[in-house]
Amino acid sequence: MLGAIILFIALALVFGLSYYFNAKTPVPKGCENLKHDCSGCQITTCANRHPKEGEK
Amino acid sequence: MNLISMIFGAILTNNIILSKFLGICPFMGVSKNTKSAVGMGAAVLFVILASSVITYAVQYLILVPAGIEYMQLIAFILIIASFVQLVEMVLKKYSPSLYKSLGVYLPLITTNCAVLFVAQDNIAKAYTLLETVVNAIAVSVGFMLVLFLFSCIRERLDSADTLPSWKGNPVALIVAGLMALAFTGLAGIF
Repeated sequence: MLGAIILFIALALVFGLSYYFNAKTPVPKGCENLKHDCSGCQITTCANRHPKEGEK
Repeated sequence: MNLISMIFGAILTNNIILSKFLGICPFMGVSKNTKSAVGMGAAVLFVILASSVITYAVQYLILVPAGIEYMQLIAFILIIASFVQLVEMVLKKYSPSLYKSLGVYLPLITTNCAVLFVAQDNIAKAYTLLETVVNAIAVSVGFMLVLFLFSCIRERLDSADTLPSWKGNPVALIVAGLMALAFTGLAGIF
């Protein structure tokens, strides 16, 4: 049980740190406005979705 | 011979998208043109391969010796998510050209259930490290193949004379169903 908790905390820390450092890493020049071409579904809460023209 | 049948099985008969119906989100969302489909496929290949090896190591070096195999699911999810963050960071810093072409798909791959499935399937089937690597590459190649084929068809469909209410996702889903039917015809070959 203790091993599981330690493992979970360690992995969560690794994820948190990697997320933090990734967010801090500057995007290369020319890549500031990159958007992937994903408008496959109507799930408006998805962070990867980019609204089409006319949509909110 | 076993590896060869595993390769062709993973690419064709047990295709991750058309047979197991996993990774449908990027399949529908990033298949509107062939360039983005190939980019997504390449990024998925890299992530699946690397995360399969890492999760294999974690399973047999940490989880099994410590007797905490029940932590597999959450451990694998965190490992895959961390790995994708790491890869994105490394690409931003050391390879802007590669980041420009592939980096934009990495957030999509984090939530791709196919990545987690492959990692867990390798353990469930008790593959060796070599079999894990071969399976990961074969599954990713199958993913890329189907994504590329689907994107080619969708590009043609855009200019085809489709019913107005069928344009876009409806006809794409019908095509996906027909492709899945076609791939089930390959069952029993490998």
